[in-house]
Amino acid sequence: MPDLSAIPTIALKDARIALRDRFLLAATLALVAAALISLITGTVAMRTDVATYMAAKQQLLALGKSLGSIAAPEFYPLKLMRGTIEQIEIMGAVIALIAGYRAAVEERGRQTLALILTRPLSNWQFLTAKLLGGAGLMATALAFVFALCAVVLALGSGIGIGANDLLRLAITWGASTLYLSAIFAVGFGLSLWLKSPASGLLYAFALWLLVVLVAPQIGDTMDPDNQVAGGVFAQLSIPKAEQTRIKQGFATYETIRNGIEVSSVTKHYERFTFAVLGIKDIYTGKALGPIWADKKGDAWFLILFTLGLGGLVLLRPIRADRLTKET
Amino acid sequence: MQTDTPAVSTRGLTLNYGEFTALQPLDLDIGRGEIFGFLGHNGAGKTTTIRLLTTLMDPSGGTASVAGCDLAHNRIALRRAIGYLPENVRLYDTLTTRENLRFFAALSRIEDARDRVEEVMEFLGITDLADRRIATFSKGMRQRVGLAQAIVHRPQVLFLDEPTSGLDPMGVRQLREVLERLNGQGMTIFMNTHLLSEVARSCSSIGVLSHGQLVFHDTIETVNARYGSEEALEELYLSVVPDREVAA
Repeated sequence: MPDLSAIPTIALKDARIALRDRFLLAATLALVAAALISLITGTVAMRTDVATYMAAKQQLLALGKSLGSIAAPEFYPLKLMRGTIEQIEIMGAVIALIAGYRAAVEERGRQTLALILTRPLSNWQFLTAKLLGGAGLMATALAFVFALCAVVLALGSGIGIGANDLLRLAITWGASTLYLSAIFAVGFGLSLWLKSPASGLLYAFALWLLVVLVAPQIGDTMDPDNQVAGGVFAQLSIPKAEQTRIKQGFATYETIRNGIEVSSVTKHYERFTFAVLGIKDIYTGKALGPIWADKKGDAWFLILFTLGLGGLVLLRPIRADRLTKET
Repeated sequence: MQTDTPAVSTRGLTLNYGEFTALQPLDLDIGRGEIFGFLGHNGAGKTTTIRLLTTLMDPSGGTASVAGCDLAHNRIALRRAIGYLPENVRLYDTLTTRENLRFFAALSRIEDARDRVEEVMEFLGITDLADRRIATFSKGMRQRVGLAQAIVHRPQVLFLDEPTSGLDPMGVRQLREVLERLNGQGMTIFMNTHLLSEVARSCSSIGVLSHGQLVFHDTIETVNARYGSEEALEELYLSVVPDREVAA
């Protein structure tokens, strides 16, 4: 049984350094601010709606009328998390990439990589520690983000959140940690593998552009029904049967469009979290069981993609010319 | 671990990059308790040799052992037995001296890590730097902390790559004194250097590498006896290294 104590030692060292890294701290605070701005705006609107409903209800009761004369609205505070998820998708991914780059360049540029690799531990232990350290960093930053979101939703929405909502937030936090850990692994791996870590960061950003920005947007920009606000079919009042017939004529186009979309881990992350939080209308108010049945493919993609990337980083040996001083 | 074997022993140790040979078959024995000075022009293969002997690179051929541990089959034990100080080490800027040393002590799995870190800082006279972050340190201060991490786990063989590079004369003298004290405790020291004067003052044996080939290896007494002057080493160096490399 190998001694694995080096893994927590390196991971904790990374955590300590990250906590003192002003850039990462500022970036995380910026993510928190961006996530909260959209959330607070949404909660203020929801609070107003709730207050309006409550006033109407009181008025009815004061007039001695039944509450049945106005339909009781359903409020779903978690739907307000849309902006937060989108910030994590894009801005969180940038932070994760840079954190991965810094985790690699810090060891290369300071010659500490050579010092660590001449200690009694295997190279895979070092790489595992770096990846776990990165995942821990992402998990901690996201826990902070989600905890604040929960507080804002609980106190600001006017209706509070229940245990089921907290469970959904916890699941989303887990999915977000997986997503950003995968992005961290990309930044770390490329910055460690390439001769110049700066080139690694550049390639990582090129991938970010494709995977995080371009591919997920293809769905919206290439969807024929999205070319007009509200949808072409809806605007032209085309019946459902006719819509289906028309769509059949674009089957190949639709397959390609969807293929591009699902090649991006970001899209799977978005589909899964939008379903869990009920942001996507067809999942709003649905129990977690049916959502899991419907979205487990996206969840598995996210899990396997992250583990696969981590495995790739672990399997590739560290080349000696990556021990050089050049950064 | 055997104690009657040389501290460092190589037989036909080679490194090729494609058709380029960075290190030609190297046969070298360094006895325990020696201070070995490894001389050579830039690009001669000195750093490559250290990287091979410290397991950072895999050789293309040949065998080697350090402190009785085989390079190919006993790497973890070998790593326990060595200390390494690369050229221009910077360590972790945002950690303090003590935090840096505790980290490397923990990685080396020594039992009395905390006590040992304090002991090493005292030995090197850097206790006053213990709670200061490395970012604020001069080159000489960093070098002393770098040396501290290299000896914190009481290695049998210490590898130093250009340890005097960038140090002022006072720093060079302090380093020499520390190395002599470490050697007095029985530590074998393998030192890459450009400074002939340092080799003459500190080392018990020397090797000269030129274009990846060991062109000279003997004790300092032999060198002095053969050339019989204070400039013995310089004479020797100029005689075994090609003119254009010396000029460079």
